[in-house]
Amino acid sequence: MKGDMDNLAIQVKELDRLIQAMRKLVDELHEKAGGIQAVERNLDRISANLKMLEINVSDVRDLL
Amino acid sequence: MQKNESLYWNPVLETLPQEKLRALQLKKFRRIVEWAYHHSPFYRRLYEAAGLEPGDIKRFEDIRKVPKIEKGMFRDVQKNEPFPYGDMLAVPCEKIAVFRQTSGTTGTPVYQADTWQDWEWWAESWCYILYAQGYRESDRVFIPFGYNIFVAFWAMHTASEKLGCETIPGGVLDTEARILKMKELRCTAFGATPTYVLGLAERARKMNIDPAKDLHIRRITVAGEPGGSIPTTKKRMEDAWGAKVYDHIGATEIGAWSYECTEQPGGLHVNEGLFLVEIEDVETGEPIAGPGRQGKMVITALDRVGKPCIRFDSKDVIRWSGAKCDCGRTFRMIEGGVIGRADDITKVKGVLLAPTAIEEVVRCIPELGDEYEVCVTKEGDLDDIALKIEIREGKEGEQEAILARLKDQLRVKTNLGYRISVHPLGSLPRYEVKARRFKDLRKHG
Repeated sequence: MKGDMDNLAIQVKELDRLIQAMRKLVDELHEKAGGIQAVERNLDRISANLKMLEINVSDVRDLL
Repeated sequence: MQKNESLYWNPVLETLPQEKLRALQLKKFRRIVEWAYHHSPFYRRLYEAAGLEPGDIKRFEDIRKVPKIEKGMFRDVQKNEPFPYGDMLAVPCEKIAVFRQTSGTTGTPVYQADTWQDWEWWAESWCYILYAQGYRESDRVFIPFGYNIFVAFWAMHTASEKLGCETIPGGVLDTEARILKMKELRCTAFGATPTYVLGLAERARKMNIDPAKDLHIRRITVAGEPGGSIPTTKKRMEDAWGAKVYDHIGATEIGAWSYECTEQPGGLHVNEGLFLVEIEDVETGEPIAGPGRQGKMVITALDRVGKPCIRFDSKDVIRWSGAKCDCGRTFRMIEGGVIGRADDITKVKGVLLAPTAIEEVVRCIPELGDEYEVCVTKEGDLDDIALKIEIREGKEGEQEAILARLKDQLRVKTNLGYRISVHPLGSLPRYEVKARRFKDLRKHG
């Protein structure tokens, strides 16, 4: 059981690292979008999906 | 199962040990309270009036210091700006992407505002439901729903798409056309209210289509009424369709907070990764932490940001189950779904009556049709309770014996005597969304 939790913790940490890298990229894209709606609105949708990844994975990271 | 296919939509949350789930809920509860305090004028007023600041929530027990909200507050706040939602909103109005409203069963409808992120979250919470009920990308899912201002099966639609299922909107089709489309496309699953699941089967039989033999439905998700957790109603639906029926409970103001899994354990898992459910004694408000004792649900949607739902006194009566589900999910279960509503359980002739008890009895008598209606009135100082029923075709000759059995069962289950009248099969109202079979006319003078 403990071994399973350790493996899960390692997996969650790695997933979270990549999710945060995506978050950084999306924020950077937003800054550079310069009001182009086709970019900003699609980024809003990506951002909402990213939030779901954070809810599903990142929120748990510090608890494992 | 396909290679590498997970047993769970999200094993990270769904198998998290209970103590870690509590820690996660506390962390997320603090976050949503902080968000509401700083962004929603309604919550700010509410918390300031109670002398509460977000930082006051340090331990799980502190959650109970946070004032509850009630349905009436959702309605009252709508009188404030910004139109039409009022200042419970925690985002500017232009960030609202989706409008829905409640059905207005208990009064003025509540307007519900969701940001695009909230709508993603709706789909996400429904993915937990559908995946747990066996939906996979090989499914062809039919949605026989009017696609209107009620959230109802909208979120099932988007979740089904997200899961990769082929998703067919049965919106403007009438009931017969929906049945024919399900047959034509060999649909494998659908979602509807229990009433409409039975109504579709009844109509199909009139069209000489046996849903259990002539259609390909393997699973049905029901919501919107308690029937999915009433064993006799569930059996009727499963027999009619030759399919497994799984229950789900959610609400417009809250979200999709619970689901039955394929083990059909006699209860529903609470999605404890996305929601915090508390149970309180109806009379004293004392918290009920353990199984077996029923109380009213106080619920928080931990991730809904547009119009937050924090410690909502839902009036739904539930009880924790002590059982561990064989599916392996660590999310706690509520036994038998929503047992009733604190404001629905009413005294008739001095006896406490839950409308679901009547449904349980009517649906356990196979000779009775699927529809019924209950009407409570007052004659002078005396309560009168009338029950209208239908008898199935070919069983009319057994009416006397059927009525005697019905009266006996009602007496045993509800401790009440009823004035029963028999109506022609198909003559009582049929419903597509929420059925209104229980009418207490005493409250309206």
